[in-house]
This record gives sequence, C-alpha cells and structure tokens, in this order.
Amino acid sequence: MSSVAEAVRDEVLPGRVWFYANYHCNLACTYCLTESDPRAERRELGSQRMLALAHEAAELGFTALGVTGGEPFLLPYLPELLARLAAILPVVCLSNGTVFTEARLERLRPLAELPAQIQISLDRPEPDANDAMRGPQNFRKVVEAIPRLVERGVRVRIATTVTAIDDHERARLCQLHRRLGVPDADHIIRPIVRRGRAVDHGLGVDAGPADLPAELTITTDGAFWSPFGPTVHGGRLDTDLLVTRTTMPLRVPAAALLRLVQGRPPGADSQLNIR
Amino acid sequence: MTGVRLIQAEQAPLLARPYYANRDPGPIVAALAHVPELLEVTMPFLDVALGPSAVDARTKELVILRTSAVMGCRYCVQTHTVVARNTGLSVEEVAALRGQAPLEAAFNDPRELALLRWAEVVAVGPGQVPEAAQREASLHLSEAELVELTLLVGATLLLNRFCTALELPTSPKVLGRLADEGWA
Repeated sequence: MSSVAEAVRDEVLPGRVWFYANYHCNLACTYCLTESDPRAERRELGSQRMLALAHEAAELGFTALGVTGGEPFLLPYLPELLARLAAILPVVCLSNGTVFTEARLERLRPLAELPAQIQISLDRPEPDANDAMRGPQNFRKVVEAIPRLVERGVRVRIATTVTAIDDHERARLCQLHRRLGVPDADHIIRPIVRRGRAVDHGLGVDAGPADLPAELTITTDGAFWSPFGPTVHGGRLDTDLLVTRTTMPLRVPAAALLRLVQGRPPGADSQLNIR
Repeated sequence: MTGVRLIQAEQAPLLARPYYANRDPGPIVAALAHVPELLEVTMPFLDVALGPSAVDARTKELVILRTSAVMGCRYCVQTHTVVARNTGLSVEEVAALRGQAPLEAAFNDPRELALLRWAEVVAVGPGQVPEAAQREASLHLSEAELVELTLLVGATLLLNRFCTALELPTSPKVLGRLADEGWA
C-alpha cells in the first residue's frame, strides 16, 4: 500500500483529487475565486490529461475525483469525460447549472448508472437575491435544470455559497431544493472565501491551509493545497497555496502535499466547512 | 527591473514558507519560489555546496568569487565581494579576484594560485580541463578537495547563470556595504 493510500485510509489526507478543467465561464459571479467570465483565458487541463491523472490517482490510493472550473460544462467533451472518470473513481462535477441544453442532458444520462454527481450552485431561495450575486436569469435556469437532471437519474448536489443566511431563508431554500428533487443530504451550505473576485467586493472569510481540507488540486499552472487554492486576483494566479508546479506524475505533488499535511501541528485541520 | 517577478511573502507557496519566516528570503529564493519543488532541493544543495564544509571558507570564497567574476555575474560578484571581505580576504585580494588587478599581485601562495588558475579553466571550459592546470591543482589538493571544489565551481556557475539570466537585483544591504567600501 502506498503512503498516500495509507494516509487516505487513516484520514490524514482527504481522498478526493480535484481537476480545474478550465477557467472560463459564461457567468461572472461577484465572489468567483478565479475571476472567471466569458473572456477569461480558458487554460484547459484537457481530457487526456485528466484521464491519465485519474488513473494515477486510483493507483496511488485516492478514492474520489472532483471536476471544477470555470464552468466545466462549457467544454464540449465533458459529459463523456465524466462517464469515463466515474468508471475510474467516483466523481463530482461542479457547475453553475445554466448550460444544460436538452442535448447535453441526454448525453449525461449514462451518469445515472455511475458513481457521479453534479454539484450545482444555488445561493438564495428567491430569484432577485440569487441573481444579484450570480447574474441575470441564473435562478430560473438552475431550477429548470435540476429536475431535468434528477428525472434522468443523475444525482445532483446543491451548493449554497453565502456570507450568512438566516433560519427563515435557509428553510425556504431547503423547501426549494426538496421540491427540485434534491434531498437534505445533498445540500451543502458553505461560506464565501475571500479570494479572487470576492476580495474586490469585500466578501467572505479569510481561509488558509489551516481552514481548508488538503484536497490535492490539479490545474494547468500546478498542484495546489485545495480547490480554493488556484485563485486569481487582478488577473494574476495566487501562489500562496501552490504545492508544486509538477502535476504529472501525480505522485510528485501527492508526496509533497502529504509531507505538508504531516508537518502540520495536531488539530490544525479544516474548521470552516469549506468543501 | 528583474527578468522574473520575485515572490513576496504573502504569495509564498507552502513549501517555500520556511524560507520567508521572519526574514527577507533574498532574490534567489524569491525567484525559485515560483517552482517550490525545485526550491526545496536547490537551497539545501547550495547550503552544503557553498556553506561550511571540510574545505575552509577562504578557499571556497576564492573559488566562488573568481568563478563569478570570470563568468561576469554582477549579482554574484557583488554579493560575494561582501562575503569574501567578511571571510577575511583583503581589499587587494578581492580586487584581484574581481579582475581589477593581476592575481599574482595579490596572491603569492602557490596553492592558492594553482587553485585559482584551475577554477578559472574549469569554469570557462569548454571541453577538458588542460592537463597542466589539472596536474598543478592535484599537487596541492586532495582528491576529496578536487571533487568538492569542482562541484563548487559547478554550483557557482549554476548561480551565475540563474542570477544573470533572471536579472536578479542585488540586495540594498549589499549595495550599501559596497558603497561604503568604495567598490564600483
């Protein structure tokens, strides 16, 4: 058993490896970590590279994959790639939920038979408040897309990213996601992290390695401590959570991350429910 | 103006952070921090190659400063002018190592002259070290010293090219000391 496999088994290291599939997005959310928008440089990781990394992740002993961006579903090959990734390790793919055309939904149907989830962002239970952060028509598109995924058997998780939410609003949001077919177990509420565009809008909480699970995250720029690591501010990549520039072979950043995790003092693990 | 952005403390990658703890890491670390996995192996290597070891500090500084001067590395010459002076080399010796005077004007120890001639041909190359220089060095240096000093020339060359190609800025502290002592 590899040292990574032992660390994952012993919960010293989280089991999930994240891929930043791309950095461009059809939205321009106020708290976006990566300053993604339609004009952002794509910086695609590429399907072949993600598949090779997924195979090595499985060999090393990681137990799950995550795909994020940007908006990954802007990549034309993504539905089939997710199925291939899910055949290697269970996968969750983060999406803004606004680009699910009928044709793309049909191409996602095979995911119903695989260990795959799509995590869609939905921040508020009413359109105006939600769309103020995420852009016009976002709410409508998301609440249309989720039931169509669910009815095809695709497991959907909803992520709510907020600075704060009161009990009444939380209750309305939970009523909404249940009505859309997403159970409580698949709804997560997490804080905005003050990185990327959130810095310019004065949003969110500061988060460093002590606050973020050490989930190995691979981008075109290198390997990072967490999917909250490879952020962009002022058009420049943040390097404070960079682990290594080397991403392949995956054992190089995995070993470096493990050394960093093992060097942390006891108890210095995630406190902010950031996932 | 440098050829590469120097990584500041707030952007220091995780593996680089120990080098930034409560101190200015210096431009070599701040440049290498772009690639943390290289930083974390390069700096310990340089510490051993250039730092205290079985070969005395004066001998090592002769090699480092002479190699840097021959290779025209502004950063290394300026920085090691100060290091050499701190190690006890005289103004005349440092000036000669910098190429501002003949070596024979400042050095008369046959061992040191042989060492300096040998270091220069090892650094400049190309190809084999001339037999005469190798033989002369071998008269004064043990095999272990030859190995260590050959590696020292190589490590210095690495730094010479790294600092020159990336146009690393000499630290203000070093520049202040050079000005105080009247070095150009």
